[in-house]
Amino acid sequence: MKRKPTKKMALRSHIAFIGLSLFMLALVGNLFYIQIISGEKYRLKAERLQLSDTVLSAHRGAIYDANMKVIAQSASAYLVYINPSKIETDGQKALVVDGLSSILEVDRETVLKKAEKKTSGYEKILGKIDQTKKDALSTYISEHSDDKLSNIIGIDPDTKRYYPLGSFASSIVGFTGSEDVGRSGLELYYNSDLTGTSGRIITAKNAMQGAMPNDYETTHDATDGYSLVLTIDEPIQHYLEQQLVQAIDECEAKYAYGIVMDVETGAVLGMASMPDYNLNAPYTISSAKVLEDIKKLGTDEEKEQAEGDALFAQWRNRVVSDSYEPGSVFKLFVAAAGLEEGIITTESTYNCTGQIKVANYYQHCFHNTAHGVQTLHEALPYSCNTFFITLGQKLGREKFFKYFEAFGFTSKTGIDLPAEAAPKEGVTYYGVDKLGIAELSSESFGQTFQITPIQMISAISSLGNGGKLMTPYVVSKVLDADGNIIRETKPNVKRQVVSEQTANTIASLMEEVVISGTAKNAYVAGYHICGKTGTSEKLTAVGENIASFAGFAPADDPKIAILIAIDEPHGATTTGGSAAAPVAGRIFENVLAYLNITPQYSDSELESATMTAPNLVGQSTTAAAGNASKFTVRVVGSGDKVISQVPASGQSMPKGGIIVVYTEENAARETGTVPNLTGLSLTEANRAAVNAGFNIKISGTTQASEVITSYRQSVPEGTNAELGTTITVYFRSDQDVSD
Amino acid sequence: MASGQKVKKKNSALNLFVAKGSVDIPFFLMLVTIVTTGLVMVFSASYTYSYYFRGGSLTIFGKQLIFTAIGIVLMLIVSRVRYEYFRYFARLAAVISVGLLVIVLFLPEVKPGFKRWINLGFTTFQPSEIAKIGLIMLLAYLLEKDSKVITGKIPSDIKVLRRISEITNGKVVIYKSFTTVILYGIIILVFAGLVYLENHVSGTVLILGIGVMMLFLGEVKNKWFYIIGAAAILLIALLIINPQILAKYAGERITAWLDKDYSPMDVRWQTNNSLYAIGSGGLTGTGLGQSKQKHLYVSEPQNDFIFAIVCEELGFIGAVAIIILFACFIYRGIKIGLRANDKFSSLLVIGICFQIGIQVALNIAVVTDFMPNTGISLPFFSAGGTSAVILLAEMGMVLSVSRSITKKE
Repeated sequence: MKRKPTKKMALRSHIAFIGLSLFMLALVGNLFYIQIISGEKYRLKAERLQLSDTVLSAHRGAIYDANMKVIAQSASAYLVYINPSKIETDGQKALVVDGLSSILEVDRETVLKKAEKKTSGYEKILGKIDQTKKDALSTYISEHSDDKLSNIIGIDPDTKRYYPLGSFASSIVGFTGSEDVGRSGLELYYNSDLTGTSGRIITAKNAMQGAMPNDYETTHDATDGYSLVLTIDEPIQHYLEQQLVQAIDECEAKYAYGIVMDVETGAVLGMASMPDYNLNAPYTISSAKVLEDIKKLGTDEEKEQAEGDALFAQWRNRVVSDSYEPGSVFKLFVAAAGLEEGIITTESTYNCTGQIKVANYYQHCFHNTAHGVQTLHEALPYSCNTFFITLGQKLGREKFFKYFEAFGFTSKTGIDLPAEAAPKEGVTYYGVDKLGIAELSSESFGQTFQITPIQMISAISSLGNGGKLMTPYVVSKVLDADGNIIRETKPNVKRQVVSEQTANTIASLMEEVVISGTAKNAYVAGYHICGKTGTSEKLTAVGENIASFAGFAPADDPKIAILIAIDEPHGATTTGGSAAAPVAGRIFENVLAYLNITPQYSDSELESATMTAPNLVGQSTTAAAGNASKFTVRVVGSGDKVISQVPASGQSMPKGGIIVVYTEENAARETGTVPNLTGLSLTEANRAAVNAGFNIKISGTTQASEVITSYRQSVPEGTNAELGTTITVYFRSDQDVSD
Repeated sequence: MASGQKVKKKNSALNLFVAKGSVDIPFFLMLVTIVTTGLVMVFSASYTYSYYFRGGSLTIFGKQLIFTAIGIVLMLIVSRVRYEYFRYFARLAAVISVGLLVIVLFLPEVKPGFKRWINLGFTTFQPSEIAKIGLIMLLAYLLEKDSKVITGKIPSDIKVLRRISEITNGKVVIYKSFTTVILYGIIILVFAGLVYLENHVSGTVLILGIGVMMLFLGEVKNKWFYIIGAAAILLIALLIINPQILAKYAGERITAWLDKDYSPMDVRWQTNNSLYAIGSGGLTGTGLGQSKQKHLYVSEPQNDFIFAIVCEELGFIGAVAIIILFACFIYRGIKIGLRANDKFSSLLVIGICFQIGIQVALNIAVVTDFMPNTGISLPFFSAGGTSAVILLAEMGMVLSVSRSITKKE
């Protein structure tokens, strides 16, 4: 029965073993493929399953004005999420849904849907919740500790963006959208700097969505975002905004925008586009008028469309994103080109007949006025069109375009703000080849091409700083979280556009424009304002204008340049000289004073100059009367020593104004009713004020040769005010301010 | 072995039962290495699953340790049994096997839908594990007994067949070798069929593989294997083209193997996570105990998919080392079989070795997505009490046979 294993068995055993070995070899090959060749791929797939990745959001950097006042800031907030896979009972689900929807004020259905995603380990409920709600939620969780809500509901740190100054500089600053990403303005342009680098906590988890009970955990700390220090100076910006709001109101305009720039560096000290919006509520339409107009619309669809348009309109930074025809302001650059090329001098004469034939038709001066024989000294102040048409034609298209390009009108300024409108040859301006005689003529007085306000103010500044075209900028410094300077903006000279001499000549001509020409309403006693006005028809709205003023001051050493544009003004004041120049004048007055620039009064200015009230407190009534001989002293009470006075010592007041002195402690203040001081001449206004027991302070042009009229008073008519109070009265000229 | 010396001194009455001689040392050492590595890997792979689902990190490992200890004791006892006795038990073993395979069909299901397990209270066991060794023993017995008949040209003495021969004037002669192989085929199919009724496709495949391997080793004529090979290829082709003919779960696994993006996620979940684990290991592995995929990604990482964790923790180098170790171990086993004193023990030893070889190969093929996912355990690695005990008992048989060789030398 016993048989030894045969050779055939040995052979077959070996064959079978070889077969098995070959199969195993194939398996080894397959293993090699999986582990060595595709290992990385599988490892990554595995990690995606195994790791739970929690983002530590970096603190978004702040935005400060030039004086380190906070404009935008991120504050700690919280983010609430749930882990639906941990919900075991319907009771837990109900508690989670009820608690979250009531405490966080989120839709119940939304929470319920998320809670029902049983396989999910993470469902975000709401971010940016504040401390109060977070505390309420924590209390709720601990109250229901029996239901283990802490396993289901999680609270992570988050951040929320605050803009403490509300609508301040809104068109520059911009706002952030979801996930703290900048949506407009600097928040968008500097988003990557502000954002910082998010950190991550990587935790290993098991397939049941639970953290593993060991320490596979890596933390990468978040690097907080950089902060921005702006060139924007809060008081300047504030004043600019305030004046623009008033201008919209007074001129019944659609929009008003303006820039205040440091002439030497190109730094933007103020920039506003009105109406603006509240940065803390960017999706709320800020203009009551716009809201009313929307309400009148018929269908919901129309309303929705109009609301969307209104939002985009209020977010729009018109200073960099809108183009307009500069009108007569542009004549400055034609004059500069003519002087620089030696085609004319300031004394070259030209005879204006009020019109000039160009190609087949006539171009006219404003109101067809024949300005007669004039030099640049007259042509600029009276904004003579024919003078500049002729000058442009003399320059020829090559030279004309050379300066058009040199002043920066064919390229973006490169300001560090988003959505700067890009000039386009053949669309916004004529290329040199397309400048025929008709085009050249109309461009010479600022028509038939478009530029942005920021291009204009940069070019105007170059006339104020000796011919250097600067790159405008809004951010001066980028700071890290510890306040170290990461980047600093150095003023950048793009090019010398015209010689210093030419620039200075134009500047002095511009001062003449303010003294006696169309920009006289920008006049500020003692500050030697240089400027030029412009009024241009809007191409996009028939019959509507843009009234503008551009200039700088003080004339001998320009510090700031201002551009004011009133978009679609209506009513009495619709030209650059009547609508924009007074606004600019008021801003110049305030900003130059804020910048501690000492007024330099001319003799004639000194004549009518305001004086300051002397200090009479502590003196005997007789001594007081003697010391204040230039004023009218009104004694109240029976004491013999002055205890207090109105106006206070140092306040500006006119010669012959009233000083009320009180001689008794706790004496009742004498009051009176403020009279109407508008629509009057200088003398009339002064008399009316003094008669009522008040003083006036004159603002605006005071050139005696002109007929000037008051148009505004700082204390409204009918107010009951303390006698002796100084009321600022604003004057403007309505003569020869049309360009 | 030292104990071998002692045995010689024992009284001669026992000599009838007790195997003498030393066990094959290389085989024994390799076995010890494999069993030890397997135990370590069971610990590493099971502790997280055990922690989450069995109330303690050591529950599964502890049970495995106890069963392995029982298995080793049983192995040492069996290795002491003279190999001739295995022949006597062969038919009995087969009868018991078939009996258990039938009984399990009438017992309550341990896992819904599957009648594979018999619940003994303290543990469950699969009759198909016993059926494998039962079939090996029975076929080894029969192939030795019918050795001449299989290889020779003896006409069948079955009346009907003789009659056919007479009618066709001897043109058609049906030989005994033919009828015998048909009989073996029926035996194998009875085993396979019973396992298939358990809803156990992988078990069926293993039984068929072991059966055919035994016939091949037992010198059944070549032409049979052409037929079997052709039939196997046809069957595989049919299953690939039309997986629905199998039970739903099995058919779907073939579909999921063919379509790597098969979308009911849970069907490929196990295989995909196995691949992620293997891939994560790279060349050198994440280090023993450092698998991340065992954290419930690879389902029951200590069972059929333990090799994925081996690959993840020990890397390509470790995985290949284990495959080579198994290959050497099997080769050493074949050598023992070929030097055995008789055909029965030779077939028994080589059959057991190939049973392990086939299981290792198929298990790794499944784990690496080389084959459709099916429940084949990795011998000595996959956690499982009865499997460990039975495998170690089989090793006892191989060791017993090896004693007869060393004794001779």
